[in-house]
Order: sequence, then structure tokens, then C-alpha cells
Amino acid sequence: MAMTSTSAVLAPTAPEPCGHVSVVYSDDREWAGRLVPFVRAGLERGEQVQYFADTTDPDRVMGTLASAGVDAGRAAAEGRLVVTTAARTYLSGPAFDPDAMMGLWHQAMDTALAEGHRGLRAIGEVAWGARDVPGADRLLEYELRLHHEVFEPLPLTAWCFYDRRRMPADRLAVLVGAHLNHLGGPVADPPLRLAPLPGRTGLRLMGSAGYDTRYAMRSAAAVVSRSPGGDVELDLSGLRHLDVSSLAVLAEAARHRDRGGLRLLRPPEPLRRLLGLFPELGAALEIAGP
Amino acid sequence: MTTHSRTTTYFRQPPDRGPGSGLFHPALFYRSDQEYLDGVCRFLRVAVHGRGDRALVAVPGRRLEPLRALFERGEDGAERGRPDGTGHDVRERVTWVDMEEAGRNPGRVLSLFREFADRHETSESRPVIVGEPLWVGRGPAETREALRHQALVNLAFAGRRVSVLCPYDAALSEDVLTQARRIHPVVTEGGTRRISRDYADPLDVCASFDTPLPEPADPFVIDFGEHELALARGTAEDWASRCGLSPARRTDWLLAIGEATGNSVRHGGGQGTLRMWRSGNSLVAEIRDGGRLTDPLVGRRRPDPRSPHGGRGVWIMHQLCDLVEMRNEPGALVLRLHMTVD
Repeated sequence: MAMTSTSAVLAPTAPEPCGHVSVVYSDDREWAGRLVPFVRAGLERGEQVQYFADTTDPDRVMGTLASAGVDAGRAAAEGRLVVTTAARTYLSGPAFDPDAMMGLWHQAMDTALAEGHRGLRAIGEVAWGARDVPGADRLLEYELRLHHEVFEPLPLTAWCFYDRRRMPADRLAVLVGAHLNHLGGPVADPPLRLAPLPGRTGLRLMGSAGYDTRYAMRSAAAVVSRSPGGDVELDLSGLRHLDVSSLAVLAEAARHRDRGGLRLLRPPEPLRRLLGLFPELGAALEIAGP
Repeated sequence: MTTHSRTTTYFRQPPDRGPGSGLFHPALFYRSDQEYLDGVCRFLRVAVHGRGDRALVAVPGRRLEPLRALFERGEDGAERGRPDGTGHDVRERVTWVDMEEAGRNPGRVLSLFREFADRHETSESRPVIVGEPLWVGRGPAETREALRHQALVNLAFAGRRVSVLCPYDAALSEDVLTQARRIHPVVTEGGTRRISRDYADPLDVCASFDTPLPEPADPFVIDFGEHELALARGTAEDWASRCGLSPARRTDWLLAIGEATGNSVRHGGGQGTLRMWRSGNSLVAEIRDGGRLTDPLVGRRRPDPRSPHGGRGVWIMHQLCDLVEMRNEPGALVLRLHMTVD
């Protein structure tokens, strides 16, 4: 299958990238190697650092930092370091809710600044995305929306920690692909990769969409129907193929947008052919580009 | 015709097999152009000039112009294009379609007919269709599928107020004409309309077309499950490109194979085998899985594209391919998609 090639886009970027970053690790040593410099740099800059653990015991996070020479205990006592769990915070409700999460990030940033911190940085373990957690099927939608709704307007850096041992490779590939910055070993290209469009509300779709990529396509549709603001754009110039089901899912999402429409940029020939067979699917779509 | 009197009988009791009740589905066996034009035009005039019904005429391209010219002149030879007494222009009531194009894949013709009938059938109006998907020179596989289409008309329009006249060139093989007598409850030959004694259950007729498919010599083979669907699509595209399929046709090829392989994973036991080979001037893709086709009409009605049910994928395959063959084999469903290399 097409999971063996390495995407240039997903290749590791320079150390300490800003914004929304996927961090993939395979063992505890690699995990600690990412954790310690990130926290140390944040504390040195006067930023508040928050760690949302999932499968890692918070005590082990504190212990790892302390043994690396970071005065984690004092930072925690002074509110400069918060180590908690997803279960106690954003997963404590009935279901993971990306709409609520967007507001929580803005609140967290406001609170950190109000408390005198010079900024906010966070690490979130997201292994729960591979478990039967209510709302886990919305993790990809969340990762895709974060860039435009949270990281473009806020001076925030957040690293999403993906543990290869805790997530199937195909799911990991799609989720990591939703980040514009990546740290860690190379990740295979998923059959259909979705990524945020910098500076605009929308996504880039790359690869080939079919029955096998239906979950990713539903996430793209969720981004289309739930993103706030005006028009949503989907750049389809990297999409080679899609099936009628995928097109129907997008068309339905466009129909359910409260405000604004859905603009498809440079759609591939199969999409045009399907619209020829089913013109009704194009009713809420605007086609742009050759 | 005396040569066929052994298998036919005179048509004496029209009510249950003639227009006015349910489906009226006669065959017209013609021996000359004149017999063809007379037979088809008479059928059309009764419906369109006489009752004001709508008509769809789907016949080979070369037949269209002579038919249209004769039909629009009327029985008395006068120009009849203009208002016919009911205030309608008869020309607007007839849709003319080149069957060599629309019916290049016989499996897509029924969808065309149903769409037309659905639009025009009312308690007062009986849409009429002239459908000729068989002609001398069609290949054996296309002929088989065209006959299957004809048999399925009986199922698709059972109980409907629809008339479908199917002309058959008497120069077609005796096998084809024999099947036509099994398919059509009523046969017109030499100007005489008779009930066909050989009329048979449409499902039995269809079963007789489920002949074993010829085994290819050296196919390209890919086994796939859900995780290999993208690889199967990519391989199918690359393979067709190497075989010289044009970009436009490659789009169709890939769309059809994408729907078929996706159906295998979704409905056919979660996995399947894709085989591809070249046969004469066509590329053939075979998709074999653990499914079973239970509805012979699947994919022969234009589906709601928003509904995942109702044969959306199979309908797309029929629209995009030049021929689609489907067979239930023991424990397996086999689809063959044919695409001509232009």
C-alpha cells in the first residue's frame, strides 16, 4: 500500500518550530528528548507551559523534567508549569468537542497573559484519538481547524504528541498530515492527506479519495460545515481521484453551511466528470480554476 | 409470418398485452427499410399524433433522420410539424437519441428509458419509447447484454403505463430473434401482430445470458482489502496509461474501478481481486469479490447521488464504461468493465 513513501511536506522541520506542531516519537527516550527542551525554553522565556497527559503519568512528566535539571516543582508551584491530564480537563465532558476547544484555547491564552506570563505553550498527548473515547472521531477535524481558528490569531505554540506505539500507522499518518509543522521521524503519506490552507479558512486535499478514506473525508466535510466565517476553500490541485461518496459528503457539508459557500479550487477531472453525471451535487459548490 | 407461425399465435385478445393496461412491449421484426419506417412511424403516430403522448426514439444514428422526416410529415404526406389540432407541436413531443452512442453500453439504456418514463407517465399520458439496442454487427457480449436489457424492460416497467417498441432487423442471427420472442409478449412480423407463444419469465431469460466469461491469457492481478484500495486505484490508473488509454477515458476507467473496488470492500466481504487485461481494442478490468447480485435491476436507474443505497456505484460504472458484465458465480460476484481504447 502507499504507506511506505515519505512526503517532503511531512519531513522533519527545524528544531523549535512555532505554532501547531505534530511530534512523533517511538520510545520514552525520544519522548523525553522532545519534552525537556520545549518546557525549558518556555520557562526561560517567561511563558506558561501546560502539559496535558493521556497515557503518561503526570508524576513521570514532572520526574523526567526534574532529572533533566528543570526546576519543575517550583515552576508548578508558581503556576508557570501546569501538568494535568486530558481526562481531567478537556475530555471530562460527555464527548470531545472541537467547537468548545477553540474557545478554550482563546480563554487559556487570555488567562496566561492576565496572570503575567509572557505567552503560552502547550503539549497535548493525543493517544486517546485511537481509543473508543466519545468524540475521538472528531480529532482530525479539530487538528485541521486549529491552524486557522487558534494558531493564526494567537501567539501560541502547541505540540501534539503522537506516540507510534499507541496509534495505528494509517491513523497516525492522516492526523500528522493535518499539521503544517512536524518533528520526529518521517511519517508515511496517507492515501488522502488533508492539511490547513495558510491564511484562509479551508483545506488542501492531496492524494486519492475512496471508500478507504471515508473517515478523513467526513472530517473534511465537518471542517466545511462547522468552520466559522464566510467562504471555505478546498484546494484540490493535489487530489488525483475521488469517488462519488466523497463528493456527496462535501456537497452535503456545503449545503449545511450557515454563512458563506464552498469554493473548490482547481478540482481534478474525476470531480468534474461526477458533476456531469450528478449536476445536483454542484448546487452549493463554486468551482474555481482550470 | 409463416416461417415463424410455429412459435407465434395471432393476436386476438389485446387487453392484457396491449396499450391501455400495463406495460406494452412489442417487438417489430423488419425485413426492409420500408417495413422499419412504416412500423415505427405507425407506432409513433398513434401515440404522438393521436393521443398527444410523449415519445423517446433511441435507435441507431443512421435511422434517425429518415424516421424523423417521415414521422413529421404525417400519414398523408403533408408537413405535420406544426400544430396538430391540440395546439401542440408534435416535434416537441419526441426526443431523438442515437442508440449507438447512448446505448454503446447496453447496460445504461434502461436508466435512460426509466428517466423518460418517470417524467412523462401520468394517469392520462402513456409515454412511448422506441428502443433498438441490437443491430447486425454488434459483438456477442454486447448483444447478450442488449438482450438482457430488453428482458429487464419487462421487470422495470411491470404494471406501468408505458409502451416500448423494440425493432429487430430480421437479418440478426436466429439465436437473437429466438430470444426476442422469449422477451416480448407481442411480436409484429410482416405487418401482423401476434402474441408470442415463447414469451418467458424475464428472470429465466436473463439467466440464459449468464454464460461463463472467457478466461484472459495473462492478466495483471492485484488482491485488495480496504488498506490496498488506494494502491489498486493507483495501479489501475498507471496500467491504463501504459496501455494508451486517453486521459479522459482514464478518468472514467478510474472512477468505475474506484466504485467497484470500494463496493467489494463494503458489500463483497471486505476484499477482492482486481484483474486487468487487454482484449482486442478494449481494456478489461475484472473485480471479483465475495458478494452476490440479488437485484437484476441494480444500477439501471439513475440514483439519488446523496443516497449511499440504490446502486449508485453500479450506475456510474454503466454510464462510464463501454460494456459491463456481471455474473454470480458460486461464492463470488464477478464484474467486468470494458473500456475501448480510442
